[in-house]
Amino acid sequence: MRRSAARPYANPYLAGVALGLVLLTAFVVMGRGLGASGAFASSTAGVVSAVAPERAQANAYFARYLGGDGPWLDWLLIEIIGVAIGGFFSALVAGRLRVAVERGPRISSRARLTTAFGAGAVMGLGAVLARGCTSGQALTGGALLSVGSWLFIAGAFAAAYAVAPLARRAWT
Amino acid sequence: MTAPYFELGYFGTRGALVAALVIGIAFGWCLESAGMGSARKLAAQFYLTDLTVFKVMFSAIVTTMLGLFWLGRLGVLDLSRVYVPETFLLPQLVGGLVFGIGFALGGLCPGTSCVAAVTGRLDGVALVLGMWSGVLATGLAFPSLRAFYERTPRGTLTLPQVFHVPYGVVVLLLVIVALAGFRGAEWIEARATSRSDEPPLPNASREATRPVAGGIGV
Amino acid sequence: MTDGRGRRLTRWLAGAALALGVLAPLAGSPYSSRHAVIDVASLARSVAREEDHVTALELAQWIKDRRPGLRVLDLRSPEEYTAYHVPRAEHLSLDSLATTTFRADETIVLYSEGGPHAAQAWVFLRALGYQRVFFLRGGLYEWLEQVMNPTLGDTTPAARAAFAHAAELSRYFGGVPRSDLRAMPADDAIPLPRAGSSGGSAVPLPSKRTVSRVLQIRRRGC
Repeated sequence: MRRSAARPYANPYLAGVALGLVLLTAFVVMGRGLGASGAFASSTAGVVSAVAPERAQANAYFARYLGGDGPWLDWLLIEIIGVAIGGFFSALVAGRLRVAVERGPRISSRARLTTAFGAGAVMGLGAVLARGCTSGQALTGGALLSVGSWLFIAGAFAAAYAVAPLARRAWT
Repeated sequence: MTAPYFELGYFGTRGALVAALVIGIAFGWCLESAGMGSARKLAAQFYLTDLTVFKVMFSAIVTTMLGLFWLGRLGVLDLSRVYVPETFLLPQLVGGLVFGIGFALGGLCPGTSCVAAVTGRLDGVALVLGMWSGVLATGLAFPSLRAFYERTPRGTLTLPQVFHVPYGVVVLLLVIVALAGFRGAEWIEARATSRSDEPPLPNASREATRPVAGGIGV
Repeated sequence: MTDGRGRRLTRWLAGAALALGVLAPLAGSPYSSRHAVIDVASLARSVAREEDHVTALELAQWIKDRRPGLRVLDLRSPEEYTAYHVPRAEHLSLDSLATTTFRADETIVLYSEGGPHAAQAWVFLRALGYQRVFFLRGGLYEWLEQVMNPTLGDTTPAARAAFAHAAELSRYFGGVPRSDLRAMPADDAIPLPRAGSSGGSAVPLPSKRTVSRVLQIRRRGC
């Protein structure tokens, strides 16, 4: 296993504090927090508008990403590109880059990929309804003590703990 | 010079995009160093064998919350200019529940799936593609979802406003809850490790502070 | 946390969080410090360079050009605002100035009846940290005089060119440009612009009656 060569992950508390300081920097510099699902939304809006411009404009959800500098220069999209760059170099430096399908011991790669795709789609729906995800609502809104964000945190963890026993085969 | 700098017009949209990239790189660096790009590690959270997600997330929330409170109090940051996501009670609760199902099944969330994808995990790529199709489908169905999406609007609503307690009291309570939660998390992990014959997933049992220091440096 | 160094660090972080948390309820509200900071040197510099105000014609040009992010704020009473306001202006009372937030990319133009209230509001907004704030130099008087009711008073080519420019803007806003130089030779006269000749106007025009009523108020005021 090549994992032995990889550096272990950081102290979670220290990593959390570092993450918190990055989020705080975003607030100080930009007056806004971090996000991830917003990047998916604006890039989707960009694709829809490239394929069917009228349809995108007529759709109240996509249309909001088409104003300003357009969907491809959305702040969150650029931020997520940064996340990808930062994540890649962090893994590179620590020797953790490895092409693999990460899965539980009792599930096939194919089943894992299908589940991951489906789980992504479900999270897409949830993130649209909640107006954000773990980054935009839980971290950002949570730190700002927003009521809706704490409802999101409660809902997400409650549902995840409720579903986990049923999905045990996928992970353990 | 008070913050937030962008809101007060110290730099324009181009500068904002540069900031987005730099902040994003630091964000991604932190997520990866903490092991948040690993779906098994995240999923272990829900089987109470590895509570890294809880520790990272809540220490981040507590750090930022304390930072916002004290920078606001010291007049460095004008909190009234910081964008607080609006509250829509029902859609956010339901959205959270739906999101949680995907979270447990996929073992990643939108931000960490990007980290998983770029560090070579194909399941991360599959999840990213799933997210796109989910957002696309929801977006196309938006006209029929809109009534629900806009239900129970409460505008900008914060916990201190709801419970009619001073901001600082909520801050203190959350710090106490988080610290108690961390203690509980350590206890649960210790119990899970002693019970299980399986080797625990690689975590922070050995110190590895350098990657995080790099994140702060970025 | 099995090793000593990691445990010490975690303890230290927890202690710091607890200390900052315990002090938080004693510190008061984080919002309370909406202190405006007056940087006298920088404000004085803006005034000296005349970067603090716009003329009525400049404002008219901005509105006509639909300058992005432009917000024109009328600081007079709601009744006066209802009677007549600069096209696209929003009403904002001086009281609510401190609690209104503006985006960084917005250009704010303030006006009142004359100059003073708007100039004071300019100082307030600059003190709150907004950079792109201007006031209409002569207030609504200047707007009515220069944009809605421009007059040619001189025969020099420069004056005529300026008048032509003002008359064009005036027509856009439904104003009544006048040349008072009846004694001039006919071929030298500026053709009087016809109201409404500029075609479909993009801004809602005040009715003739409203304008003349406001003009009357203004003349009485003088």
